[in-house]
Amino acid sequence: MIEVRDLKKEYLEEETSTRALRGVSFSIKKGEFVSIMGPSGSGKSTLLNILSFLDRPTGGSYTFLGKSIDERDDRELARVRNEDMGFVFQAFNLLSRLTVYDNVEIPLLYSKIPAAERRARVEKAVRDVGLEEKLHTETGRLSGGQKQRIAIARALVTDPNIIFADEPTGNLDSQSGEQVLEILAALHQRGRTIILVTHETNTAEFANRIIRMKDGLIESDTPIVRSPRANGHSIK
Amino acid sequence: MLLHDAFKTATRSLMHGKMRSILTMLGIVIGIASVIVLMSIGQSAQNLILNQVQGIGSNLVFVIPGGSPNGRFSSPAAAQGIVITSLNQRDADAFSREASVQAVVPEVRGQGAAVYKGNDVTVSFEGTTANYFTVRNMMPASGYPFTKSDVDSFNHVAVIGPALAKTLFGENISPLNKTIRVKNLSFRVTGVLPAKGTGAFGIDQDNLVIVPLSVAQNEMLGIPYFTDIIVEANPAYDTNFVKSRITFILRHNHGVTDPNKDDFTIQTQEDVLSLLGNITSILTLFLAAIASISLIVGGIGIMNIMLVSVTERTREIGLRKAVGATERDILEQFLIESVLLTFIGGLIGIALGALIVGVVYVVLSSFFSFGWVFAFPPSAVALALLVSTLSGLAFGVYPARQAARKNPIDSLRYE
Repeated sequence: MIEVRDLKKEYLEEETSTRALRGVSFSIKKGEFVSIMGPSGSGKSTLLNILSFLDRPTGGSYTFLGKSIDERDDRELARVRNEDMGFVFQAFNLLSRLTVYDNVEIPLLYSKIPAAERRARVEKAVRDVGLEEKLHTETGRLSGGQKQRIAIARALVTDPNIIFADEPTGNLDSQSGEQVLEILAALHQRGRTIILVTHETNTAEFANRIIRMKDGLIESDTPIVRSPRANGHSIK
Repeated sequence: MLLHDAFKTATRSLMHGKMRSILTMLGIVIGIASVIVLMSIGQSAQNLILNQVQGIGSNLVFVIPGGSPNGRFSSPAAAQGIVITSLNQRDADAFSREASVQAVVPEVRGQGAAVYKGNDVTVSFEGTTANYFTVRNMMPASGYPFTKSDVDSFNHVAVIGPALAKTLFGENISPLNKTIRVKNLSFRVTGVLPAKGTGAFGIDQDNLVIVPLSVAQNEMLGIPYFTDIIVEANPAYDTNFVKSRITFILRHNHGVTDPNKDDFTIQTQEDVLSLLGNITSILTLFLAAIASISLIVGGIGIMNIMLVSVTERTREIGLRKAVGATERDILEQFLIESVLLTFIGGLIGIALGALIVGVVYVVLSSFFSFGWVFAFPPSAVALALLVSTLSGLAFGVYPARQAARKNPIDSLRYE
C-alpha cells in the first residue's frame, strides 16, 4: 500500500535549511497497524504529513496505492485524502459550533455523495463509535474522549483505505485515551490500515509494528510482541 | 462541493455570527438604499418635469425671438431677459396661412399688481388670443375662457389662476363676474384655471392672470411685438416639418439670408422633452454615482470582516483541506459567504429604499402641491441587486483567495 524510498524533506527558511527527513525507506502493507515513534524533532510529524499527502517530499520517492506522489497534482492529492485517507488529530479539529452530524458529514461534502447516502453513512459512522445519542449535539458540549471518538467517526465516514492518527490520545485522560485506542485497534482487526504517530510507548504498543525515528532517520523498525490486553478489542 | 451544500455551509457560517453579519451588511444596506432613493426620486422628478411639459399641450412648436448661436442647448437671448422685438403680427399671420399649422398663439408677458378690494398682490399676466386655452390645455375649471370677439373688441376680461382667486377673494367668494384691477385697469373675471402648480418654465400658473392680447399689448405694456408665439402643428404633419416651414417664413419675413444669423429660436416640444430628459437623467446618474461611494465603503467593510473571518477560521480551513477540500472549494465557500452578505444586504437596502421613497412621496403629496408621482424603477432594483452581488464578488475575492491558499499543515497547527 505504501512504498517509501530514501524520502527526504528539507525546509528552507531565509538562509538556513532544516533537514527534517534525511533518507527514510520502508513499506506498509494493507491491514497493518504501524506506530511511528520518536522524540520531538525526530521527523515523525513531517513523515506523517508526507504520507497523508498534506506535504510533498523534497527528495526520494513515495508511492501510495501503486502511484507516486510526483505523478499526482494537488487536485488529485485532495481527492485521495478525501476518498482513501482518514485523519484523527491530537486537537480533534472539530468545528465546535456545528453538531456531531455536521462535523462527521464534512468529508462527504467534498465527495459529491447524494444527501440521502450521506445521512446513512454519517449515522453509521457515529453508531460505530458508540455516540449515536449525541448525533445532534454541538461538539463544543462533548467531553474530550467523546470529541476524539467523533473525530474517528469523521475519519471513518468515507470508508478510507488508511487512517492517520496524529497523537490521538495526547489531549485525553488515560481512560478516554484507552477507549480511543481500543476503537483504533478494533478497526485494525476489521482490516483497516492504521498509522499512528505518538511519543508514548504505551500508545505505540497498540500497533503491531513500531517505526522509531531519530534526527530524521529510522532508528529501528520492529514488529512488537502483542500485549495480552490489546487482544479482543471490539467495535460495534 | 455541490453548490447547494456550499450555500448551506455559507449560510451556517453567517448565521453563527448573526450580529457580526448584520453589522457587516449595514454598509451595503445604506449604500443600496441611497442609490435606490436617489434613482427613484430622480425618476419621479423627471416624470414630473416631463409631465408638465407634455401638460402644456401637444404638437407644439415654440417660437422665441433672438437667435441661439451655439445650437439648441444654448438659451436664446429672450430667455436671458434681453428684450427683442422681432416677432410681430405679420409673422403670426404668415404662420396662420400655413397648411401644416393648426393654430397660432402669440403671447406677451408682464408683471403688475392685482387688486380686489383691500387685497393687493403682484402677479404675472399674459396677454394672448382666445385659442390659447385649447392649445395650451388650460381650459378654466370654472367659468369660461374669453373669446376672439373679446380680443378683437379690447374687452377687459380675465381668466385667473386658482391660487390668485383664493388670495384675492378668499375661500368662499366666487371670483366669477367680479371685477379686479390689474396694472390699474379693471377686468371682469370670466373663468378660473385648474390648479397646475409651477410650470416647466418657472411660471406659477396658479397665480397667473390671462387677458386678451389686444388689451395687454396696447393698454398694459404698450408694445407692438410678441414675447413668443406658440404654434400648434397640424396633426397630419410632422412637427419637424412645421419647424422647417416656420424657419423659412421667419427668414423670409426678417430678411435673414445666413442661417447662422437667425434672429429667432424654434423649439419643438420633443426638443424640450429631450433636453429636459437628458438633464434630469444626467442629474440622476450623478446623484447615484455619489451614492455609490457609500457602496464602496460598505464593500471595504465586507472585505475587512471577511479577512478577520478567514484568520479566525484558519483551523477550519486546514481541516477542510485535510479531509479533501480543494483550493477551489475553499475559494467558493468564502466567496459565497461574501456574496450572500452583500446580496441580502442589497435586498434589505431595496426594502429600506422603497420605504424612504414612499415616505418622501407621502410628505411631498401631503405638504406640497407637486404632482409627485411614486416612481420605483425596476431598473434601479435590478441595478441594486447586480451591484450588491458584484461588490460581494469584488470585495470577497481577496479574502477568499487568502483562505484558499492557506497551507493545511500550518492551518491545522494555528492557535
